[in-house]
Amino acid sequence: MIEQFIEGFGLALRVDTFVMMGLGLFGGMLVGALPGFTTLMAMAILLPISFFLDPIVGIPFLLGIYKGGIFGGSIPAILVSMPGTGAAVATSIDGYKLTQKGKSRKALDMALFSSVLGDMSSDIFTMMMIFPIAYLVMQFGPPELFAVLLMSLVIIAATSGSNPMRALIMMLLGIWLSFIGTDPLGGVERFTFGLFELKSGIPLLPMLIGVFAIPEVASVVMRNEKARHLAGLMGERLTWAEFKKTLRTICRSTVIGTGIGTIPGLGQVVAAMMGYSAAKNASDHPETFGEGELEGVAAAEAANNAVNGPTMVPLLTLGIPGDNVTAILLGAFVAQGLRPGPQLFDEQGATVFAILIAMVFANLMFLAIGYLSIPFFSRLVTIKVSVLIPLVIMFAFAGAYVFRSDSVDLLMLVGFGIFGIVARAAKFDVMPMVMGFILGEPMEYAFGQTVAMANGDLAGFFLGDRQGALAVLLVIPAIGFLLWRRMRKTIAH
Amino acid sequence: MINREVKKSPAFMFAVTVLVLACLALVFMGSLVAAPKLLFGRSLTAISPDSFPFVILTLMALLCVLQVGMQVRGFQIESGPALGKDGWYRGTYFFAILTGYALMMVPFGFQISSTIATALLSVQMGNRNWAQIAVLSICGPSLLYLGATRLLAVSLPELNVIELAYGSLLGG
Repeated sequence: MIEQFIEGFGLALRVDTFVMMGLGLFGGMLVGALPGFTTLMAMAILLPISFFLDPIVGIPFLLGIYKGGIFGGSIPAILVSMPGTGAAVATSIDGYKLTQKGKSRKALDMALFSSVLGDMSSDIFTMMMIFPIAYLVMQFGPPELFAVLLMSLVIIAATSGSNPMRALIMMLLGIWLSFIGTDPLGGVERFTFGLFELKSGIPLLPMLIGVFAIPEVASVVMRNEKARHLAGLMGERLTWAEFKKTLRTICRSTVIGTGIGTIPGLGQVVAAMMGYSAAKNASDHPETFGEGELEGVAAAEAANNAVNGPTMVPLLTLGIPGDNVTAILLGAFVAQGLRPGPQLFDEQGATVFAILIAMVFANLMFLAIGYLSIPFFSRLVTIKVSVLIPLVIMFAFAGAYVFRSDSVDLLMLVGFGIFGIVARAAKFDVMPMVMGFILGEPMEYAFGQTVAMANGDLAGFFLGDRQGALAVLLVIPAIGFLLWRRMRKTIAH
Repeated sequence: MINREVKKSPAFMFAVTVLVLACLALVFMGSLVAAPKLLFGRSLTAISPDSFPFVILTLMALLCVLQVGMQVRGFQIESGPALGKDGWYRGTYFFAILTGYALMMVPFGFQISSTIATALLSVQMGNRNWAQIAVLSICGPSLLYLGATRLLAVSLPELNVIELAYGSLLGG
């Protein structure tokens, strides 16, 4: 292995690898920064380019888009409360509040530094731990996945706002919305009301833009904030003291993101939300979260970027893509003649290590390119409201449309926008609903598989074969209750 | 007797609406969820397609009842953001523009629908600089359209005439 590592190190130090990785990073940030234009879309479009390049150039190019896109998504999330990717949803909570307070520069700097630190640490961890982690993940089955998904939902509901009951209602509403379409297990239609447009379910992107961005824009319109001066909102740069204060949070989120990245199916959205919730829960001042807290931005960004590296573990060792982005990466590997699986390390160990080493170097380029390009993207907020709002709406509509090229998505976007405004007026947080919507389908699928595996005897199955999953399931209500009680107490104080 | 203030609160109305929807979905579950596929009289899946929705909807209805109960008993009375009639009129006008934009985009194309929507929104936000409105509503959609279709190679709806004009201008 050491020989393969040294050989891989030599292979990774190629000028064209760095040039293409840099292009990928900038392209990813640019696309991520455009609300509605996702990393997934950029990777899918640019995947064919990688076929014409050497594996050590082409795959790092795609990895650059992946890393850049996840950070890029935080730019509109912070500047206009419009998460460019699902992973940036948690970032928008405090990021946009910071922009409103005139501290967008600090928020963007924090997003960049925490993203790079989280990503770099998890990449190094991935490189070191790829073999033992692969062994652990191999033990995961549907019962464990179901238990982990349920636990993440309970943690999010318990720590969302000061009213967990409302959060739970919204989460269940989100899960219900995820049922619309075709049943993931049996393929039968549910809650479609006979409409063809609903057969494939509610698309995520119009929902994300609808419930997060449209109400934000609508509230500016409804309050008639014409006189809002956005010029000069940039504020000062992040200081070392401010960054140092969040180091513990970044480390915690990196650990969370790294752990979640190794589990197929969870991904950046769950990592960001769990990282954010954990930071809020561990904080001495949780009431400042959601009101423009730098720690909130750091927690979410470190966690979502820390997922990038570890998703390579199930992908490279087992050939299991953890999410849709790694599914595209799997396509790139296969097209290059590298078939992921345990044998890959024997046959192409040096190439694999070269790609992993390039991932680590990509973070340094990520820091430089991100730092230089922040002012370029931040010009968005210097535009007048009467100019910015029409442009934001146009981007939102274009983004919602290009996702599936379906005009129904535009009506869904408006519908979710109205729903978001109503929920906001009623003080029901939409975040748990989105989480329920995202995790509803994989949770039902994992549950169905668990029941099938149990062969009708769930209790016997858990008690006999799946004690680990049972332990997680039994601990969930206690975790939820403790988190809720602690948060209530802190807020009351 | 429910307090009038509670009854009028957005939180109460929201919870009641969700409760009604959950109850209706539970009652009409049979017609809203298709029957499971059978192979030789046996279901293909371990759980019926309505099992998981049944659990979720029941939980949701119960939580809504609890939420409504707590509000009625006066545990939770939270008022929404104080917005006057003007605010809601502006909101209605804003969402009317968005609905029109959504309905117009495919039949009228991205350029025309975006030009109209951006101009209307800019005026609504108090812009009275007609030159700026014209530049914004014509150049904005054009640049976005060209960027999306030429650089990212994704499709946006457009009329053939406009697409041909872009093609002849850009040489392809």
